[in-house]
Amino acid sequence: MNNKNLYLPEMATIQEVIEETHNIITFRVTLNNQEAMKNFSFQPGNVGQLSAFGIGESTFVINSPPSRMEYLQFSVMRSGEVTSNLHTLKAGDQIGVRAPLGNHFPYEDMKGKDIVFVGGGIGMAPLRTLLLFMLDNRSDYGKITLLYGARSPLDMAFNYELQDWLDRDDLDTYLTIDAEFEGWKHNVGLIPNVLLDIAPSAENSVAITCGPPIMIKFTLQALEKLGFKDEQIVTTLEKRMKCGVGICGRCNIGSSYVCKDGPVYTGAQLKELPNEL
Amino acid sequence: MKFQKELKDSIRKALPELDVVIGWCGSFDPLHATPHFIRREEDIEKLEIGPLSVHNLATYLPGLRGKKVGIVVKGCDSRSVIELLQEKLIARDDITIFGFPCTGVVDQAKIKKALGYVGNVESCDMSDKSVVIVAAGKAHSLELSDVLADKCHSCRYPDAIISDIFVGDKSGEAVPAPADYEALATFENLSLPDRFGFWLKELDRCIRCYACRSACPLCVCRDHCAAESREPHWLSQENNVRDKLMFQVIHAYHLAGRCTECGECQRACPVDIPVLMLKQKMNKEIRDIFKYEAGVDPEETPPLLSFKMEEENITEKDW
Amino acid sequence: MALVKYLKSTDLKSWLAELAQENRVFAPRYEGEAVIFAPFDPEQEIFIKYAATAPPKKTVFPQSERLVDFMYSKDPEDLSRIKIEAQEVLPQGTAVVFGGRPCDVRGFTMFDRVYMAEEATDIYYKARRDNTSFITLACDATENTCFCHWVNSSPSDPTGSDVLAIPVEGGFLLKAVSDRGETLLTSQLLSAGENRVEEGERVCKEVADSLSQAPDLANSPKKLLEVFDNIEFWQDVSAKCLSCGTCTYLCPTCYCFNITDETQGMKGSRIRSWDNCMSALFTMEASGHNPRPTKAHRLKNRVGHKFSYYPDLHDGVISCCGCGRCIKSCPAGVDIREIVLKAIAFEPTVVEG
Repeated sequence: MNNKNLYLPEMATIQEVIEETHNIITFRVTLNNQEAMKNFSFQPGNVGQLSAFGIGESTFVINSPPSRMEYLQFSVMRSGEVTSNLHTLKAGDQIGVRAPLGNHFPYEDMKGKDIVFVGGGIGMAPLRTLLLFMLDNRSDYGKITLLYGARSPLDMAFNYELQDWLDRDDLDTYLTIDAEFEGWKHNVGLIPNVLLDIAPSAENSVAITCGPPIMIKFTLQALEKLGFKDEQIVTTLEKRMKCGVGICGRCNIGSSYVCKDGPVYTGAQLKELPNEL
Repeated sequence: MKFQKELKDSIRKALPELDVVIGWCGSFDPLHATPHFIRREEDIEKLEIGPLSVHNLATYLPGLRGKKVGIVVKGCDSRSVIELLQEKLIARDDITIFGFPCTGVVDQAKIKKALGYVGNVESCDMSDKSVVIVAAGKAHSLELSDVLADKCHSCRYPDAIISDIFVGDKSGEAVPAPADYEALATFENLSLPDRFGFWLKELDRCIRCYACRSACPLCVCRDHCAAESREPHWLSQENNVRDKLMFQVIHAYHLAGRCTECGECQRACPVDIPVLMLKQKMNKEIRDIFKYEAGVDPEETPPLLSFKMEEENITEKDW
Repeated sequence: MALVKYLKSTDLKSWLAELAQENRVFAPRYEGEAVIFAPFDPEQEIFIKYAATAPPKKTVFPQSERLVDFMYSKDPEDLSRIKIEAQEVLPQGTAVVFGGRPCDVRGFTMFDRVYMAEEATDIYYKARRDNTSFITLACDATENTCFCHWVNSSPSDPTGSDVLAIPVEGGFLLKAVSDRGETLLTSQLLSAGENRVEEGERVCKEVADSLSQAPDLANSPKKLLEVFDNIEFWQDVSAKCLSCGTCTYLCPTCYCFNITDETQGMKGSRIRSWDNCMSALFTMEASGHNPRPTKAHRLKNRVGHKFSYYPDLHDGVISCCGCGRCIKSCPAGVDIREIVLKAIAFEPTVVEG
């Protein structure tokens, strides 16, 4: 039996804060215990709980890839009490981290396949870790397509690397926003519609999608139209979480605990779960 | 009850126009009743009213807003309906009120105390005067008046004050005597440390289940209650009596001049904390200052929900 | 044969006082019109006439407990910086709980599978669980709300206990159930119990026989999933539910909790406190989305968890010990037995055509 304290966060230092959009910031953090930082290992898709001591904890995906370990990156959208407080932190501040938690993307099963990423808004964060991981292990995968959409250019996170993604020969990047915007040179239209226009082949492919519930719903329909089967689709779920280790009891869908058994689910797994998203 | 058939007939007549009628029916043993939601004709037969009809069904009304609801009320319950109407938390057109002359309901805690151990209840026969309970193979005969809820002994409104259909004969006085707070006065005569000590001791066993709040017909903040709110962060979730008392004080203040003293908070408390007394204290002050009694007139406005430039009994300008 | 001893009722308090020299001892006490577990106090009567209103759950899983203490301090090098120190707060000491009922104590075995799982052990729970002994009182009578025999147990089930105390003439027959139980039975106040074993067995059998036939719940996991999407079913059974937390907080097997930070000045604690799946806030997300927006959804989860999801994950074990407190203490008389049986009996109406 493991005697690790499940609830005691590691103290970490914020190395850098990046203002992504008007309501999203990104933290780059390192654990204060250098030994722990050196030995820290995780898989793309794992999440962590960030602590604002005195306020509480919230769950975020580690959106830097395990292949780049100089820091751990988390992106935080302001929505509740904890995230509002996290938004006040600056470089050099202390933060608590409990990670890694949860399951991860089945990237081993994706080797040799074409990959289609479909991300909406802050939903790009979990895709980013896997995308960068695949780019760092590029020869393991076939063609990689990325469709990333946001409400407007002002809502688009990771701006600093989008140009690199667009320029790469080994990545087909498509960006889209909901409505025309001055100076915007990319696609305009809802993600599922743009996806149907791009029409990536389902043949030997896996689609990984993440974003707001309504976008996921229509993206899944679009993928189905394109011939993707349930087992070729991977997504991540969100729930209110507290313990992060499958004990406190609130994030379950039937007998699956999203914090421990998720957040990554295949379309086929989702169909097996009771309908309670 | 002799008018039970009459009540069932009137519900049968009204049901086609209603989504649901709420009454009472038998529960897990013959000594308990439970709220009964009548949606279909065949549900009507199960309806039972009598001394076991303890629950104040008005509690369900705000949650059923927008539906056409029939509700069976005792006199005390009807005061909660009036209060909800006053505060526009329910619409008069949406509800059909069935009243009956109530002769009092039991207090389960008193029965338990009288029997020592209730055990497996086999039967329970109620008459106007007595209760005969057969439990664990033994028959116990109790005076009904010994096990009636305290509120029934001083009841001033046995008949529903407001109703669309009233079954049975009205029994109450036309002009009820003013409320007296005799039991409360005894408590108020204790010293401050004694009173405080009493609450610390009683509230220590509170499990913070908030049944007192959930059973209260006038606790309508529901999912936005100060008890759990983080913004603002009024209460700690620590298990300390200070926060438990603080919640009860907030509850009592929210209900000042609105509480009709139905006693559901206290009845619902699984560990029997006498929380009704706090609300009675507030009501007594409201009565003395504003000459007001909650839940009697649908056209009134509770004093703390209204504003007057000059209050007759608040003499702050004489300082 | 396991160690058996006899304790005279009149020696009960003296025996507990002996145990209290080395341990924190909890026993049921009558307060208000309720029976609750409280630290043993020789001045107070021990109330064991019937099962306590609240089970001894809090002795291992307190209503609230500190997990981590934290302290802020200004960095003397740079006053705009706040330094934070966080420190775990682990439970200390040993405890003995007298007077829980078989259903109450068996409840902890449902906790164990979740809190002491191989891959993630809750060291706070484990510290208390490992250091708490249970002297459990076999039931000599039942109530209408008792249904331990529906869920593979009985009024004298020793599962999870260290000593089983069976009421016999003039006192208790004490049977050691675990090694730890044997070490509890060394007091000079106890006498040989072998000659009362037969009487003890008779008491247990009489009570067990008094229970009516139990229905078969083997199908509950499957049938509850079948009615999952039937919102009318759940609206119907939850109509009278008031959404309070009585059922969960009085339940010996309800183990869900909240974690919140509470601060005072420059220090504070991250605490764990009982939480309640019947509350809308339990699953309310920061975005305002709630996967269980109504009491129908929430009661479905409560019943589903106990009679379907938990058994699905834990070898078919139903996460309900049949104590009946959720029924007896529910201010609205919601009866979980009725709901489970209704789900098992439910046949979807076949639409012709």
